[in-house]
Amino acid sequence: MQALSVEGLQVRYPGLPVPALDLAGLRLEAGEMVALAGPSGSGKTTFINIVTGMERAGAGRVVWNEEDIAALPEGGRDRWRARNVGLVMQDFHLFPGLSAEANVLLPQRLSRLRLPDGMQARARDLLARVGIQRPDQLVGTMSRGQMQRVAVARALVGRPGVIVADEPTASLDAEAGASVASLLVDLAEEAGSTLIVASHDERLIGRMSRTLRLENGRLAA
Amino acid sequence: MFHFILADLRRNWIGALILAFLIALATALGVSVTLQERALRLGSARAAAAFDLVVGAAGSETQLILSSIFLQPAPLQLLPPATLSALRADPRVENAIPVGFGDFVGGYPIVGTTGDAVAMLGGLAGGEGFSHLGDAIVGSQVTRDIGDSFHPFHGSVGEAGEVHAHVEYRVVGRMAPTGTPWDRAILVPIQSVWAAHADHDHEAETAGLAAVAHVPHDHGHDHGPGFAGDPVDEATLLSADNPGVPAILVKPKSIADAYNLRQQYRTETTLAVFPGEVLTRLYGTLGDARRVLGFVAMGAQGLVGAAILMVVAVHVLQRRRQIGALRAFGAPRPVVMGMVWLEVFMLVAAGVIAGFAIGYAIVRGISSHLAKSSGVAMPVEFQTADLWTLAGLLLACAIATLLPALIAYRQSPAQALRA
Repeated sequence: MQALSVEGLQVRYPGLPVPALDLAGLRLEAGEMVALAGPSGSGKTTFINIVTGMERAGAGRVVWNEEDIAALPEGGRDRWRARNVGLVMQDFHLFPGLSAEANVLLPQRLSRLRLPDGMQARARDLLARVGIQRPDQLVGTMSRGQMQRVAVARALVGRPGVIVADEPTASLDAEAGASVASLLVDLAEEAGSTLIVASHDERLIGRMSRTLRLENGRLAA
Repeated sequence: MFHFILADLRRNWIGALILAFLIALATALGVSVTLQERALRLGSARAAAAFDLVVGAAGSETQLILSSIFLQPAPLQLLPPATLSALRADPRVENAIPVGFGDFVGGYPIVGTTGDAVAMLGGLAGGEGFSHLGDAIVGSQVTRDIGDSFHPFHGSVGEAGEVHAHVEYRVVGRMAPTGTPWDRAILVPIQSVWAAHADHDHEAETAGLAAVAHVPHDHGHDHGPGFAGDPVDEATLLSADNPGVPAILVKPKSIADAYNLRQQYRTETTLAVFPGEVLTRLYGTLGDARRVLGFVAMGAQGLVGAAILMVVAVHVLQRRRQIGALRAFGAPRPVVMGMVWLEVFMLVAAGVIAGFAIGYAIVRGISSHLAKSSGVAMPVEFQTADLWTLAGLLLACAIATLLPALIAYRQSPAQALRA
């Protein structure tokens, strides 16, 4: 369970006069389900990069449960993210040549010497839960909807306190998108994780408990 | 982690295979230059080690060694008969065997010598020694059996000669392998060579026995078929009326004797050399050639290496999204870097090791071919120094392959995902 509090955050890119993201203050409660909406270029991806520690914040504090990740060095942010964040991206970022199960377990395998006990069983359970019948199927042979469901299982396998999804349904057809959307919401709810979803998909936005609208890097009222 | 590397290699297996193969070929080039030079050097040195001192008429030292030990035909001046008798009588000499050449049969040089040459070269593997002028002993690689008969040809191996129809030898013995060009030689009593050439003009004395071939034969002449059955008369070796020989292989009793003899037979008309001396000088020349080849090979390796690093760097840049994703999903930076490094290094190291194997196989092939045609056994072997070369090469590769790994290390996951 992770709560977020952002203070005085400003992210600027060289050559741009206005900040890409400018948040004076924002608080997300633990377990809250938040939709991040807004037109392209409004700062949604930058927000996700900052709150997951993938990008360094220029100024301000990004505090998750007392820990200011904006103050952490890159390696520290990587470690924090590995422990606390499950990510689902628009284009899946699954690794062809590996099976569904290997993909789900890959981040776990890479961040520690040995898989923790029960992790493999958990991966199989999650794959079954998201409707993947054959854990040993190569992801290269799967449909896009199946791939995104594998990605959802991967995001959840490490029991993260926060699940962050960036346009998880944008590259899927309506039916596959709907099933991924409900999986995300249901699984986050079951796990009690905080869920942040950047999306244009109104049906997905509608299932969230709260919606943040971004415009030109600022929160719209 | 290995999982992931293997999956990635499997996905790009054609490219990976080609890369490893290129590296293997570049490595094999360098390895074969080193190994082949070593095989030639060791092979010729071991071939020459069986011969302590060679005495010949004044002329080229190198030619004397090439003709008497490596049995490369060339017209050599003849030594006066007194030299042979003096050497055979010398108390410092354990053995002095005459070597006369100029005939061949079926691609094998015929060497006129004495029975004790066989003992000096390592003895018989089968059959018996000379007892008649028409007896012949074949080297271990000669494809003639005991009991076979043949007529010698004038001239030298590879040239069209004129058959000595009136002379016939019968193989009576086979030598044990010596690892020298003498494995391809057919030994006959020197007296028979003298007899076969006795009718020729005595210009031969100044032009060497080989030159005799060019003197026209008088085929009406009766050589008498009987000489093949005549017993070998060792006394003719010591008499002063034989035509002389182009070279004498001398086995001195001690090292001091060897130096004394060499000193004594370095005169205006005679030449005495240690084969080792001459070979050392030849290796000096060979060594320069090897160095040049070595530089060429190194240049080629460098170019291949640079090209491959480029390819790998481009490949890593193309994979930056994938690499960025790995980090986004929680793989620690050093692990990602290690994976990229390990994958590239595995390819390169496999190529280098395969290159050593390919180089070894190439040199084995060339050397066995050379050994077959020259009789010189060529030892193809790796030495401890080669292990260091291999280690150094792998270390250099390990460092060079850090470059693509560093590319992977430097970008933040957000940057990589945006790419």
